[in-house]
Amino acid sequence: MASIAQPQIQAPTLPKPQAEESGLWSWLTTVDHKRIAKMYGISAFLFFLLGGLEALLIRAQLSRPENNVVDAQRYSELFTIHGTTMIFLVVMPLSVAFFNLVVPLQIGARDVAFPRLNAFSYWTFLAGALILYIPVLFSLPGIFAHAAAVAWSNILGSPLLNGVQPWFDANLPFATVVPDQGWYGYAPLTESLFSGREIDFWALSLQVLGVASMAGAFNFIVTIINMRAPGMSMMRMPMFTWSTLIVSILIVLAFPAITIALVLLTFDRLGGTMFYRAFSLTDGTLVTAGGDPMLWQHLFWIFGHPEVYILILPAFGLVNEIIPVFSRKPLFGYAVMVYATAAIAFLGFGVWVHHMFTTGIGPTPVAAFSASTMLIAIPTGVKILNWTATMWGGSLQFTTAMLFAVGLVSQFVIGGLSGVMHAVVPVDTHHNDSYFVVAHFHYVLFGGSIFALIGGLFYYWPKVFGKMLDERLGKIQFWLQFAGFNLTFFPMHFLGLAGMPRRYSTYSFESGWWFWNIIASIGALMIAASVLIFLINVTRTTRFGRQAEANPWDGSTLEWAIPSPPPVYNFRITPLVTHRDQLWHDKYDRVQESAGRPDQVADTIVAIDQLPERSPVGVAVAEAEAEEGHIHLPNPSYYPLLLSIGLFLLAFGILVNNPHIQLGFFGIPIISAFGFLLLVTALYGWSFEPAG
Amino acid sequence: MAIAIEVETARGAGHIDHGGHGHSEHPPTSTGLDSRKMLMWLFLASDCMFFGTLISTYMIYRNRAIELGTPPYPNEIFDIPYTSVSAFVLLMSSLTMVLALSAIQRGDHRGLRIWIAATALLGAIFVGGQFFEFTEFTHEGLGLSTSVFGASFFVLTGFHGAHVTIGVVWLLSILFISLRGGMPAEKAVDVEIAGLYWHFVDIVWIVIFTLVYLIPYADGPEGVVEEAPHAFLRLVTVGERFLAALPF
Ligand code: HEM
Ligand SMILES: [Cu+2]
Repeated sequence: MASIAQPQIQAPTLPKPQAEESGLWSWLTTVDHKRIAKMYGISAFLFFLLGGLEALLIRAQLSRPENNVVDAQRYSELFTIHGTTMIFLVVMPLSVAFFNLVVPLQIGARDVAFPRLNAFSYWTFLAGALILYIPVLFSLPGIFAHAAAVAWSNILGSPLLNGVQPWFDANLPFATVVPDQGWYGYAPLTESLFSGREIDFWALSLQVLGVASMAGAFNFIVTIINMRAPGMSMMRMPMFTWSTLIVSILIVLAFPAITIALVLLTFDRLGGTMFYRAFSLTDGTLVTAGGDPMLWQHLFWIFGHPEVYILILPAFGLVNEIIPVFSRKPLFGYAVMVYATAAIAFLGFGVWVHHMFTTGIGPTPVAAFSASTMLIAIPTGVKILNWTATMWGGSLQFTTAMLFAVGLVSQFVIGGLSGVMHAVVPVDTHHNDSYFVVAHFHYVLFGGSIFALIGGLFYYWPKVFGKMLDERLGKIQFWLQFAGFNLTFFPMHFLGLAGMPRRYSTYSFESGWWFWNIIASIGALMIAASVLIFLINVTRTTRFGRQAEANPWDGSTLEWAIPSPPPVYNFRITPLVTHRDQLWHDKYDRVQESAGRPDQVADTIVAIDQLPERSPVGVAVAEAEAEEGHIHLPNPSYYPLLLSIGLFLLAFGILVNNPHIQLGFFGIPIISAFGFLLLVTALYGWSFEPAG
Repeated sequence: MAIAIEVETARGAGHIDHGGHGHSEHPPTSTGLDSRKMLMWLFLASDCMFFGTLISTYMIYRNRAIELGTPPYPNEIFDIPYTSVSAFVLLMSSLTMVLALSAIQRGDHRGLRIWIAATALLGAIFVGGQFFEFTEFTHEGLGLSTSVFGASFFVLTGFHGAHVTIGVVWLLSILFISLRGGMPAEKAVDVEIAGLYWHFVDIVWIVIFTLVYLIPYADGPEGVVEEAPHAFLRLVTVGERFLAALPF
């Protein structure tokens, strides 16, 4: 703390806060947004490793023609779980980890508006993930046993290990109920006529995950609208906060569609309805049931397309933070960036039929949705232009975070271009269900979302953990990942155009697809190696990492004004915001501005929090506030956890009972009934919980 | 349990939700709007999407039973006067809800209890009426798996009925809290939030009632959909049916 004190103004004395609690119980009951961010981040990263393992198995199987690392059934399970994991258990929760960490800090708040609801979001996310992963984890031994048996018999010609996989499948619970219908679960494949209990696991898992996402989204909207520090008008908000706001609105409006779609599916499966069933089997004959599988496709993609923006906009938000800081320039066209983000979100609700061009839906919807899809490329292009213009003429610093951010810009352009190609219907008819589409969505999801999220990890690591990640290892990781990514996914464009369909477990030698497939598999290994380097980096940093300063990158937003890692209460004194890039203003502009008219100088967090003695306005604010009481931090609570456990048991009870129970009053499974009771108890406990 | 941090304070930028019986002093929010009220508005926005999805599903399937010739048909089983009465009951409950809120805002605890109890009672009558209607329909052979018309009818109206049921439980909880003296006038916003929910559920019923019961169905179980009547004619028919259905 600076030692200059002006005699006439007595700075308030600030007693040391009590040390943060630690121990398991404190984590189970925490409502601190920074801890919740860590829990979200760590869980998401673990699922990233699992999803990556599944991807490697897929690539191993496809590395040569007529391969038998996994059989067709297991292959279907792998791509289903891989996709569902990456979307719902990696990109979304990792984005939410950043929302949690960054948003309250960027708007100068002590926490989110509803801290307990925030904890509930995390626990419910974990519950939903568990429902999906209980079968997956039990099936992994069988998968590896099969691969080992094939290798053994290929090398030694002995069938010694062949019995192991069937044994695992027969004896491990849940090993045979791994979802296998693809991440968008098209009807009628998901109807009970064609599938088993695995669909119930998938449907209920998504249902629970949806509850978690929506609870989080409500919370962030209210936080951003209502908890901004004085002076932070909407158009002074950092771009990441804007992205969070817009993504949360998308979640609130898009998730109901899939929730209802899944409710109808569950009724079809357990309640005997026929929403998605065109035919039903009665006494061995097919009779018209009156339902329509297209209803599922509509409902799913009304959610599904906004969902892809839910996946990419947080990544864009991170890039909006990273690029200006390492270009040493404010973001080019801030207001246009805000409007472009809003426009993408708005248009995103009007393009869903582009996923259904080949269903024979008719020329009018096809033409209309083709046009609206192309329209979306405009605001997206605006963003690319703004990033380029921000870098233009800046003094660029290629830190690892910056490399990943620029990586997103370049790779997303490729994915965006193939997206516009899909919007051209005759072309899409050729691309649909081929590897071309696989290439497209990996360029936007991996080259887009994942690149930016990893860049975000490098950028915010010092703020969360107070240690700097190693830049040299980081750059090696980036270049390896960049090369591996392009080696894996660029050839898929060729494979798709050459006719290779997605979701087939193997291909013949004569197809001529083997060359690009082995290249892609080699690329996948390089990506795996880059992730390994990241893990090494994290371990080394935790042990030997350099201590981080409050603002190691010379960032411009409020989170960099407080120590790294931030204290529990974030801001000792609520900052007063006067400018968009507040810290840069304080540091660089203020000196000039204040010349000649010192008392008009606006005071901000830097002035107030770090140099209170020098800051007349800051002291005045602090004194006025000193009369109001103390810093109130929300109390820890175990009700969010209990509520999530109740929800988990409610869903799990349905799964472990006979799935074909009637939905009658007395058919309710006992575990579910217990879960429901727990849920209601926790809800009332929560409502009546006294403040400390 | 509290993390006791005793530091000189600052004006919180917003109100953090501390728990049911929070501090009386709520720091101002950026917009001046109550955060919990805003949360309820957002929930209702997403609830619009929930109902919107179910209503669309129903609108797609409403004529399917007729088209496919799988009885019972909507025009046979709907008893519009009966449902109109229960719709009227639900609408009246919005009135009593308004009276309850205005009572607590004036600090009139007796008024709050009376009107909350009345609202809950009217809501319960509505749910009871729906339960009776459902059993009636089941007797006439319309089940979840009879036809997609039946399925989408039961799921849509059942989803609404579940909303009303939750609302009744909520209102009774408020009544209980008030009887134990835990509902001072400063906490009128608690009642207001419940009221927002309640009015929303009412408004949704007006939409459902119109779309499910009042708009005419294709006639005749012959498996042919009739030419849709002229829009104006249709409106007149809706109006006529509504007038005919009024209980006075
Ligand atoms: C310029 C913007 C974009 C356009 C014009 C676009 C267009 C399309 C079209 C037309 C399809 C359907 C292809 C087919 O199945 O035949 C598609 C598929 C897909 N897109 Fe995009 N897209 C864009 C951006 C994105 C973004 C930002 C993401 C995610 C971060 C994304 C993720 C996906 C995914 C996951 C699929 C495949 C869905 C499936 O499994 O079938 N797209 N895109
Ligand atoms: Cu799309």
